[in-house]
Amino acid sequence: MNGDRPSEEKPYRRLETQTLLQQIAFTGGLEALEASENGNLAWVTSGFPVEIPIAMNVGVVYPEQAGAIIGAQKIGPEVCSYAEDLGYSQELCSYARASIGSTEKPDEVPMGALPTPQILLACNNICGTVLRWYDAIAEMTGATVFLLDTPPIEAEQLPHHQEYVRKGVQRLIQFLEDKFSKPLQDERLAEVADLSSKAIGLWTRSLEACQKKPSPLNCADRFLTMAPVVSSRGTEQCVDFYETLLAEVDDRVSEGLGAVRDEKIRLLWDNIPMWYTLRFFNLLASRGVVFPADTYTHAWSGSIEGVDTSSIIDGIVEIYSNVYLNKGLDAKVDKMCQLIKDYDLDGFIMFSVRSCKRYSLGQMVSKELVTERTGVPGVIIEGDMVDSRVYNEAQIETRVDALLEMLM
Amino acid sequence: MSNEGVIEQSTAGLMQLVAAGEELIGYIYPHTPLELFMAHGLIPSLIRTLPQVPSGFEASLQTFACSYIRNLYSQRTSNQMPPLTGILFPSNTCDSLQNLGDIWRVRFPEDRVFRLTYPVTRNIIDDSTQRYLAEELRLLSESLTTIFERPFLKESYNRGISLVREFREGAKFLYSARVVNPKIISYSDVAQLVRVFLTTPTAAAASAITEAANSVKKMVTDLGIFENVESVMTALVNRDFENVQLPENLDAPRVVVAGGMIEPQALGTLIKDIPDIPESVITLDLLSFGFKSVFTPPLDESEDPFMEMAKSLLAAPGEPTQEGLKHRMIFLKDLLTNLSIHGLLICEQSFCDPDQFEAPSIERAASEVGIKTTRIPIDPELSDKARIEVRIQSFLETLTER
Repeated sequence: MNGDRPSEEKPYRRLETQTLLQQIAFTGGLEALEASENGNLAWVTSGFPVEIPIAMNVGVVYPEQAGAIIGAQKIGPEVCSYAEDLGYSQELCSYARASIGSTEKPDEVPMGALPTPQILLACNNICGTVLRWYDAIAEMTGATVFLLDTPPIEAEQLPHHQEYVRKGVQRLIQFLEDKFSKPLQDERLAEVADLSSKAIGLWTRSLEACQKKPSPLNCADRFLTMAPVVSSRGTEQCVDFYETLLAEVDDRVSEGLGAVRDEKIRLLWDNIPMWYTLRFFNLLASRGVVFPADTYTHAWSGSIEGVDTSSIIDGIVEIYSNVYLNKGLDAKVDKMCQLIKDYDLDGFIMFSVRSCKRYSLGQMVSKELVTERTGVPGVIIEGDMVDSRVYNEAQIETRVDALLEMLM
Repeated sequence: MSNEGVIEQSTAGLMQLVAAGEELIGYIYPHTPLELFMAHGLIPSLIRTLPQVPSGFEASLQTFACSYIRNLYSQRTSNQMPPLTGILFPSNTCDSLQNLGDIWRVRFPEDRVFRLTYPVTRNIIDDSTQRYLAEELRLLSESLTTIFERPFLKESYNRGISLVREFREGAKFLYSARVVNPKIISYSDVAQLVRVFLTTPTAAAASAITEAANSVKKMVTDLGIFENVESVMTALVNRDFENVQLPENLDAPRVVVAGGMIEPQALGTLIKDIPDIPESVITLDLLSFGFKSVFTPPLDESEDPFMEMAKSLLAAPGEPTQEGLKHRMIFLKDLLTNLSIHGLLICEQSFCDPDQFEAPSIERAASEVGIKTTRIPIDPELSDKARIEVRIQSFLETLTER
C-alpha cells in the first residue's frame, strides 16, 4: 500500500472530526499545566468516576492516554526503558512503565510526560495494577494516592458490594474536600453528571451506528476519537466533540459511505490496540477488512442516572463497578458474542497484550467459547500496547492471513 | 529434609486424612479463613506449587501468565493435585489469580470452585472494609452449608480457633527466637513445620510446632535470651520496634528475605544447598506463606465469627496486592534497622505484578537505611537454580566483606 496517495484514493476514509482532537489535546494540556502550577492536578485512571473531581474543579489528566501518545510516537521502548533502569521489570504494564519513565525523564518525553500531580486517583475496576503503578508515581512525586476499590463482580452487584463502594465514593469526596478545601456543590455535580451522560450517549450512538453496512467507523477511528470520553467526560467541550462526531457518522450512514471504501469482511477487535502501529488497521482496510466493533471502546458506554447528589452517587456506584474489565470471563464472552450478533461480524481478532494480564489472560478460553457460541472464527495475536519490542509483525501477519483465508 | 521430602510428607498426610473420610478444600491465597472451613467440618489445605510438574498450561494460559499460576494449572492438568472436595480462589488480589479462577471454572467444570473477594482498601478510619469482608465470609459460609450440607458449627469453629492459635503461637515464637539466634533452630525446620500445618492443619501438626517451640523456649532460657526473644515477638506482633532488645555480639551476616508467594521451604533448601553458606544467615523471612501467615492476629471466640475473621485477615501483615506501600516500607525500614540486619534478599516471581512492582520500592527503602539488597528472580520450578545460588553466594560474600 502506498501511504502517499491522496486521501480519496486510500482504501479508508479519514474522519474530519479527528482534526478537532489536536485542539482538545492542546487545550487540555494547557489546563493541566495550569492546574499543576496551582496545586490542583489529579492523575486519574480511565475507569475512575472523574465526574466528582471535575465537579470540584480539580484538573485531571490520564496517564493511560499519555501512554497511548508515547506509543503512537513510537518511543515506547525508550521511555519504558527509563522505568526499567529504575528497577521496574519489562514484564510490567507498559502504560505504567511509560508513565514511570516519563515521570523520571520528562525532558526526554516532550509529548507524553504529564505535569506533576498533587493527587493520584485510582479505581481498580480496570485492573489491580493501577494501585501499584500510582504507588510508584507517589514515591517519585510525593503526590497522595486515593484508591476507589471496586472489587470484581461475579454475576450481579450485591448490596454489601454497593454499600462498600458507596462508602469509598463518600471517602473520595471527603478526601478532595479536605485536600483542596472546597466543598462539592450539589448543583455542579448534577451539571457535570448530565454532561457526562450526554457525551456518553452521543458516543454510544456513534458506536451503534457501526451496525450499519458499510460501517461508518473503523477501529482506528474509534481508538482515536475515544480520547475525550476517557479524558474529559463531564465537560461542555466533550459534548461538543461528540455532537460533531455523531453528525459526521450520521452523514456517512445516510450517504452509504463506509470507513473502508470496499467493505468485505467485518471483524471484532478485542483488547487495547498497539498504539505504535494503528496502521495495522489501515493495511487491513486495503483488503476490505473493517472492524465495526471492539471491546475496548465499548467499555465507556455506561451513563450515570440521577438527579441529586445521593442518586448520582448511587449511579456512580453502579456504573463504575460494572465496567467490562471488572466482570468475569462469562460476562466478557457474553459481550463479545452480543457484539458479533448485533454488528453482524464475520470473525474476531484478539490482541493478547503481554503486559496487560487483566485483559489478556483468559483469551485462549474466550476464543473457544465465542467460536462455539457464534460459529465465527477468531485468531489470537500477541504483542503489547506501548512496547513495540515484543511485537512480531511477520508472525502476526501470518496469523491474520490464516483467518482472512477462512473468511474470503 | 529437602523441599521434595516435605512435599511428599505433606501429601502422605493429606492422603491419610482423605482415607479417614475427611474432605479437603484447597486454597491458594495465604490470607484464607482456616477457621471458617473448620467450622463447616472441612479441612483447608494450602495448595503449593510443585518444583517438578510437567507443563500443561499452554492450551489455556499464555506464556506471560505468572509462573505461580502456570504451576498450579499444570498440576491440575497432570492430576498432581491432592483429592480436593473444592478449591477456593481469591478475588481482587492480583489480576492473574483473578483470571485463573475464571479459566479454571471453564476448563474443569467438575471442580467445585469457590471465591472469596478481598477488599484492597487499608488504613481507613471507618469499618467498611471489615463489614464488606465479613459479608463475603458469611456468603461463603452459606455456600459451604448448601453445597456440602455441612452447617457452620460453633463448637467446630472454636476448635478451629484453638488449633490455629496453637500453630501461630508456636510459630511466632520460633520465628522470634531465630531473629535473636538464627542457629537455635534451622530455617528449613521452621519452614517445614509451618508448611506441614498449612497443608494438613491437624492437631498433630500443631502439636509438632508446640513441641518445637517448647524445646526452643528451654534453649533460649538456658542461654539467657528469653526476654530478648519476647521483645522481638512483641515488636513483630505490634509492628513497633521501639523496645526490641537484642543481645550483643550477634553472628554476621544477618539476612532477611522479602517477597510474596514464594515457598519458604524451597528457599530454605536452596540456601542449604549452597556450599560454604550456613543456613543461619537467614534471620527472618517476610514471605506470604511464612511471616505473613504466622503473624496474623488470633480470633476472639466471643465475638461475631464473620466480623472476627474479617478483622483478623485484614490485620495480617500487608501484601503488595493491598493499599499501604508507604506503611509497608516504613515497617521494613524499622525492622531492618532495629533487628540489626545486614542484607536483604528480594525474591520475585516472573510475570508477578505485585512482586515486581514492590521490588524497586523495597530496594530503595533498604538503601535508605544502608542495607544491601539483591533481587532474586525465582519460579516454583527453580528452573534457574544454579544461577540463583551463585547470585546469593556472591551477595553473601559482599556482606561478609563489610
